[in-house]
Amino acid sequence: MSQVDLEARIPNNVGLREDKRLLRALEKWQPAFIDWWKDTGPSDFNADQIYLRTAIGVGKGGWAHFDYVKMPDYRWGIFLADPVVDRKIHFGDHIGESIWNDVPGEMRNRLRRLIVTQGDTEPASVEQQRLLGHTAPSLYDMRSLFQVNAEEGRHLWAMVYLLHSYFGADGRDEADALLERRSGDEDSPRILEAFNKPITTWLDFFCFTTFTDRDGKYQLAALAESSFDPLARTTQFMLTEEAYHMQTGENGVGRIIHRCAELMHAGEDPRKVGAIPLDIVQRYINEWASASMDLFGGEDSTNAAESFASGLKGRYREGDGIYKDPKALEHSYKAEVPEGDHMVEKEIPLRRAMNALLLDSYVADCQRIVSRWNRDLERQQIDFRIVLPSKRFNRHQGIYSSACFTPQGELVDAEAWNSQREVWLPSQADRDYVESCMVAVREPGKFANWISPPPRGVNDQPLDFEFVKFH
Amino acid sequence: MSQKLVYVCEGGDCTERGSGDLFEKMRELLLARDPEEAQVRVRRYPCFGGCEVAINVTVYPDKIFYSQVTPEDLPEIVENLLGDAAPVERLTGAVQPDVEEMVWMLLDSPY
Ligand code: FES
Ligand SMILES: [Fe+2]
Ligand SMILES: [Fe+2]
Repeated sequence: MSQVDLEARIPNNVGLREDKRLLRALEKWQPAFIDWWKDTGPSDFNADQIYLRTAIGVGKGGWAHFDYVKMPDYRWGIFLADPVVDRKIHFGDHIGESIWNDVPGEMRNRLRRLIVTQGDTEPASVEQQRLLGHTAPSLYDMRSLFQVNAEEGRHLWAMVYLLHSYFGADGRDEADALLERRSGDEDSPRILEAFNKPITTWLDFFCFTTFTDRDGKYQLAALAESSFDPLARTTQFMLTEEAYHMQTGENGVGRIIHRCAELMHAGEDPRKVGAIPLDIVQRYINEWASASMDLFGGEDSTNAAESFASGLKGRYREGDGIYKDPKALEHSYKAEVPEGDHMVEKEIPLRRAMNALLLDSYVADCQRIVSRWNRDLERQQIDFRIVLPSKRFNRHQGIYSSACFTPQGELVDAEAWNSQREVWLPSQADRDYVESCMVAVREPGKFANWISPPPRGVNDQPLDFEFVKFH
Repeated sequence: MSQKLVYVCEGGDCTERGSGDLFEKMRELLLARDPEEAQVRVRRYPCFGGCEVAINVTVYPDKIFYSQVTPEDLPEIVENLLGDAAPVERLTGAVQPDVEEMVWMLLDSPY
């Protein structure tokens, strides 16, 4: 198991102490990172004590440690999953060759782009969520938000480590640029569109962590298969943290649904008591799920084919040997695509369909969550059912983006679609209403009326634990 | 694929309940009898979505989903993996069926 250096200014298990050049470079980047955090991280809570989990190692039990910490003092570290001895490339054109511990020249640009695009989403989400702390529905939720934010900060460190270590002067420039772009900035926005709109309500936050972080999970899982070993090991460890973010989202939306159902069951009108009606929750889900599906990129993509062929991005759990065709040259993927006013079947050579495959896994994952929410509605004897929108609905990327589809996936004309827009997607009135529900609750153990308490506190603490201590 | 694949969850809840040690112990037990991993490989898996019944361990392609696994259960599980014993019934069925289905769906690729 790799040696973890927790005493260092930058906790790590990558032997930073020995690599003076890299150490100097990262120690120079560190103050810029802290400035970025203070500037654009959670607004106004930097002096408070937050009960946070810090990663202190990898692999075996106890990689996480809970304690009170002021966010700017959080110990952001660099952790890679332990290496696998003698790992060989297991997919694509280079199958059977040794994995790379350095970046092959011809892959440099593609790999750098992958790392920068992934890296850019990490600080972007922190920026998007910066004002949410002010309207936290409980101390428990406020802590969760800051946990997610702090770990996204650590993910940025993970990507910056790769840029500094393997991409020379270009990498250093890219690492600086990651702190310079800003979510929603007109002149210097974040790279992906979904990361440029502010997240102003907790319903948006929980939808983001359910649906958008889950896209992150599948992207990271694909990168964890990479032939470039440092990237594979970095993303592998990031996945273990990402699981917490998705749980936060899944449980958060679930608690909103639960609260609404509970009120309905008691014969109350959720709207009259500041809770969020289920049809509004559904519209938010439609919006966030469809926007997150766009993040997978085009279903038919030569770019994806090249990333697979060159061994940079594999399929989900590719390394476990569960695929019949590790070169992905013998099969094709069948998709129904719009052509005029009807759908036709299209065969996409498998390599070009890598984004589509990853998206299918994602959709199955989301479906499981929606079923879980619906089981709760059933238990509470409420007839309403949440529906995951079809992967054709409201798409701006890929093979469905050229036509209009209902959330059930039926092809309709633009006029019909527009007439239903406010039935399917949040209206301004919905947004105003949800915004009006966002009242801060800061008494330990108390929760805003629009959300149920979770079954238990984090790290087995009681619900009335003081998860945030204000200075 | 004749080889079996055992996954031990390394998500947050399973880790909090000691899945790191459980994984190590499982590996030891398996390697003692199958040093080349010829019959069974054990790997970590980042959260199955059955966190409330941690620690979760799955076996593929047999499609066995064990929940609330403790170190004491491991010899029995290993007996099923490498010997003739049947799956450890009492550890199955705790997780929601659709969570289980989805795990198999992700692993069962037609390609
Ligand atoms: S943490 Fe193990 S199943 Fe989620
Ligand atoms: Fe992240
Ligand atoms: Fe995340």
